[in-house]
Amino acid sequence: MPAVIVLLAVLAVFALGYRYYSAYLARSVYALDPSYVTPAHRYSDGIDFVPTNKHIVFAHHFISVAGAAPIVGPAIAVFWGWLPALLWVVLGTVFAAGAHDFGALVVSVRHKGRSVGTLAKDVISSRARTLFLLIIYFLVTLVNAVFAVVIATLFVNNPAAVLPVLLTIPLAIGVGQYIYRKRTAALLPSVIALLVVYASIWLGRHVPVTVDPIASAFGLEPLTVWIVLVFAYTFFASRLPVWVLLQPRDYINQQQMLLALAVIVVGVVIGMNTIAAPAVTEVPADSPPWFPLLFITIACGAISGFHSLVSSGTTAKQLDKESDARYVGYLGAVGEGTLALCSILACTAGVVALSATPGSDWQARYADWQTASDGALDTFTRGVAGFAENLGVPLATGTVFAAVVVISFAATSLDTAVRLQRYIVQEIAEIVGFRPLARNLTLATAVALSLPIVLALLPGNFAFGTLWQLFGTTNQLTAGLALAVIAVWVTKRRRNPVVILVPLVFLVAMTSWALVIQLVEFATHEDPLQVFLLAPLDAIIFVLAIWLIVEAAVALRAAWAGRTSAVEHGEELTEVEAPAADPDRDER
Amino acid sequence: MNADAARSRSRKQVAARARASFTRAWRKAEQAFDAVFAARWGSALRRDARDQSDTLRALVLLESLGVDNPVGYETLELIPYVVADIHDWHRRMGHEELGEPGVCC
Repeated sequence: MPAVIVLLAVLAVFALGYRYYSAYLARSVYALDPSYVTPAHRYSDGIDFVPTNKHIVFAHHFISVAGAAPIVGPAIAVFWGWLPALLWVVLGTVFAAGAHDFGALVVSVRHKGRSVGTLAKDVISSRARTLFLLIIYFLVTLVNAVFAVVIATLFVNNPAAVLPVLLTIPLAIGVGQYIYRKRTAALLPSVIALLVVYASIWLGRHVPVTVDPIASAFGLEPLTVWIVLVFAYTFFASRLPVWVLLQPRDYINQQQMLLALAVIVVGVVIGMNTIAAPAVTEVPADSPPWFPLLFITIACGAISGFHSLVSSGTTAKQLDKESDARYVGYLGAVGEGTLALCSILACTAGVVALSATPGSDWQARYADWQTASDGALDTFTRGVAGFAENLGVPLATGTVFAAVVVISFAATSLDTAVRLQRYIVQEIAEIVGFRPLARNLTLATAVALSLPIVLALLPGNFAFGTLWQLFGTTNQLTAGLALAVIAVWVTKRRRNPVVILVPLVFLVAMTSWALVIQLVEFATHEDPLQVFLLAPLDAIIFVLAIWLIVEAAVALRAAWAGRTSAVEHGEELTEVEAPAADPDRDER
Repeated sequence: MNADAARSRSRKQVAARARASFTRAWRKAEQAFDAVFAARWGSALRRDARDQSDTLRALVLLESLGVDNPVGYETLELIPYVVADIHDWHRRMGHEELGEPGVCC
């Protein structure tokens, strides 16, 4: 199958989804009101609440949700063949992620731009906020563990990528300071910084950086040394104000991501490469079953709870009109789906673009589950390099370019996730009254990092197979909680909640089933680490899933009962935040 | 001779127009780039500055919050500055109204 056909077909389905399904959601489910006064206007402060053009809000939203996760998940999941992964990405994006991202944005706009955790408390119950905090704690724990291993693995496999990535740190700080002090536009310094990063790829190929001498001096694996160094970096980076390093680096990364997307799409069109992977693979007998594990292996790219955090916490405060939520929320999900699609194409077509025997070369990369998951990152970077070669970029340079893009994204996600985990640790310490932990930044960061470090350093290559899937379960539970909030809100407004309930039930059922399969596997394993560490971790996440099911069912039942009673008494629809005419609207 | 001068003038005008178009396009690109990529970084800077102002405001208004302020006399003259945007401040702190109705809003 030519990759370009798949690309165009999927983009066409996404376009139809936006044109018709999102219009249905906007009209019949969320009942958008263009005259509603959004929080951006009501609480306008020029900092958090800023009415913004919808194209700019979409760009902010998309670059906030796009990251390394929609790349890694599909790169592992094509182990079961390209068709199951592609179908889940397409159907998940159109029917689940679109409704989820769009819905979270609308509910947040109707509740003063509040985040999904607070919305869970407002719309469901105060217990739901505690549930949210716990799910997020495990989500960021697993993000920190997995992304540290992602970065370390790419450094080990691509020593030439170390120099460009290290250079990004002083460059980002320098560009940020230069723009701040000179009060100049960011375009020229940022483009120069990007060019310097790419020039350093050439330099990096001649001066590869490895930690082999340190590793052999201490009798450790290079991967272990890199993991420790990555956590040491994160420990310090996460304590800096966000505007010093995190955000300037983030906008250099965002340009890299857009460039990588462009390279893949143009490379696919120009190269006319063929997908070498079978549509459905006959996997070895001891492999994990695709049903239900596919639905947690690909979270970001099909549906991701992380999007509800961005939709509700940040994007909702920028919407100029409520009707812009359709464009921003639904297309944000489509953008993430496109990133996952690009990952699938890179790992099934780009990676063997230059091979004389593409079928067997692909089979060698995905021979069994362990090989497929351990090599997923290498497969993706080679895949992007394959497409880049269609544009005349040498294979080795293209590989380092892709590695730099993924590492940069993973590093930014790690920095953000460590901050988030520290806040949660401090909040829990405050609740239980342990003030030294609540007030001491160093101690809180150390405590936040302790569990991720243990998980990342586990012997036995758990990161890409097992930990990735556990990360997927927490991500899907976050999405489930957001969908439950949306479903309850829609039910209370006497709209049809079925289109929200279907993805909610599907997601929670698949996640719970996958957790049970993994729990049995961990608990019956001969390795004590799996029995005494991973099995309890899995069991805790499973309890959170059951808690979510109970909480959602109780809230939905109450919402339905309230709605039936209101209809019987002929009551008018009441809003939590009643839409109000905006007297200044015509003047804007 | 005149024809040469006219051609030269025409070339200069074309070059000047091209420069002006390029400058306009570059300015637009700079604005778009700032809006898409650098706006949130700018917001983070302003948020940090606002947090510092909020801390100062809380210190200056300690006595109105019921806390004894040992340097109340010295910070007295700052009060007009910090009450100027007190409405935004109390809403940011999670209180829709401050004190008795009519005192602030």
